[in-house]
Amino acid sequence: MKVLRKKRRKYPVSRVIVTIAKYSILCIGAFCMILPFFWLFSASLMTSQELIADPPRWIPESPQWKNYMEIPRRIPILRYYGNSLLIAGLGTFGVLFTGSLAGFAFAKIPFPGRKILFRFVLSTMMFPVFIFLIPVFYLMKNLGWLDNHLSLIIPFAVSGYGIFLIRQFVMTIPDALMDSARIDGAGLWKIYLRIILPMIKPALATLGTLTFIGQWNSFLWPMIVTSNAQHLMTLPVGVSRLTLAFSTTETQHLVMAALVYQVIPMVIVFLYLQKNYVKGFVMSGFGGI
Amino acid sequence: MRRDMRLRALSGYGFISPALIFYVFFFGFPVIFSFAASFRRWNMLVPLFDARFLGWDNFEFLLQNEMFLRSLLNTSLYAVITVCASLAISLFLAVLINSARFPVLWRFLFFTPVVTPSVAIGTIWNYLYRPNNGLLNQILGWFGIRPVYWLTDGNVVLFSVMLVAIWAGIGGSMLIFTAALKNIPNDYYDAAKIDGAGIFRRFFSITIPLIQPTLLFLMATGMIGAWQVFDLPFIMGRNAPAMSIMTVSWYIYETAFGSMRMGRASAGAFLLFIIIFVITLLILRAFRKGGYEGFAEKET
Repeated sequence: MKVLRKKRRKYPVSRVIVTIAKYSILCIGAFCMILPFFWLFSASLMTSQELIADPPRWIPESPQWKNYMEIPRRIPILRYYGNSLLIAGLGTFGVLFTGSLAGFAFAKIPFPGRKILFRFVLSTMMFPVFIFLIPVFYLMKNLGWLDNHLSLIIPFAVSGYGIFLIRQFVMTIPDALMDSARIDGAGLWKIYLRIILPMIKPALATLGTLTFIGQWNSFLWPMIVTSNAQHLMTLPVGVSRLTLAFSTTETQHLVMAALVYQVIPMVIVFLYLQKNYVKGFVMSGFGGI
Repeated sequence: MRRDMRLRALSGYGFISPALIFYVFFFGFPVIFSFAASFRRWNMLVPLFDARFLGWDNFEFLLQNEMFLRSLLNTSLYAVITVCASLAISLFLAVLINSARFPVLWRFLFFTPVVTPSVAIGTIWNYLYRPNNGLLNQILGWFGIRPVYWLTDGNVVLFSVMLVAIWAGIGGSMLIFTAALKNIPNDYYDAAKIDGAGIFRRFFSITIPLIQPTLLFLMATGMIGAWQVFDLPFIMGRNAPAMSIMTVSWYIYETAFGSMRMGRASAGAFLLFIIIFVITLLILRAFRKGGYEGFAEKET
């Protein structure tokens, strides 16, 4: 009570109205954000009758937890998980490895053409993926990688943004640190392993989280590559096929459960690594669909 | 000493070589190959240089094709409206959240769609948008609004998809705006207040100019992304008349992997690149070093 009175004395009535308006806008916004997710979860527990009921139901009468049991029986969801994990994991490793090597060189090792090459790396971010789809698909086909995880990993093993981000971080490491290591007789490779890598851990964590989530969610390329290779399908592709296959049958309520399977890991990863991700996102400015 | 310098330069190349080799195969080669393919009639079954050379025919075909022109129109509408709307909404929300309690909670709520796969987002909204038994029409019904055919009405479907894209996109830009807003010293606002500037005056005379680099960066990257939009229209637009929802990237995808016209699709991809390039240049030019380059070279 005391606090409230104090506040009222401090703020005039117009201020109170502004505050109420502010929080109501935020609450309406939050409601719009949450509603689809709430409905997804609710619908994943419905029977197929409840899902197509008119007027629509908001919550199931009795939650059908068995929908979740049904999914692994209908589609190889574990394999999709495995593929997504392998592809996103190795792809992330590739981005971190090549990015930290190149970022280190661009930041600390003078060599002729460094500036031009770095500008080139930045400019690659402006090219639409559609220029690459066909030639890279053709390349993969001729290399015989199309029925192989490599076709989903290698084309994403370097990111211009990753190189840029790591370079910015390495620039902040004082030269003196490197110089003293060199006086002690350490080569560049040793400096990279012993000094640079440990010091850019935060950047690696950020870039790693960002890359992993991006690759886990990617859709277009995996869809093109795995159209003839079921055993390579990633989670988004597998679930999207399921959506199309189930939408006309009586089993469409299973789509919702399958989507929950797909959404949950990322929400958990996001919750767990929120700080990294948010930081990386702020630094990158990339996102949206 | 000279030998040392040369050795360092060499090892510099050594460190960037994994990335460089990658760029040769997955950037240099594709760009040149796509360019060469765009002048040919090629179905990927024969080697590219055995395919018939067409000159500018692919480009001519596209620029006279009604569907492609419609896809250009749809995509430009989509890009301009989603980028502008989501920037405006997210800036507004960022200003609110910046002065609200529990900023982390709000941020989390608005950010969740950003980490959700677009396939999942599209499918969820397909259900919410159902004409008779979708939640959205039910909610509209409470206010006496008649059911809208969100995804089947050719006049509506593009806007339905844009709405979802805005919904999914505001969290990301909001986060970046919040960071930018935090960098503005409070003194500026206090000084303006003393001078009698109202809330709108303060917003347009202090906030906007000071976050301009962020705004432009988001606009440039947003445009680059929005012009390539594929997932959402592809998942949500299946039951609509193709003309009303076809985007450039979907058109290219269909041309390439639906009808195996790789040459024509490459020509489309190059047209898309030119559009994106020009738009990015225009945005950067208009504001000189404010946006992307300013961001990229901030610490150079």
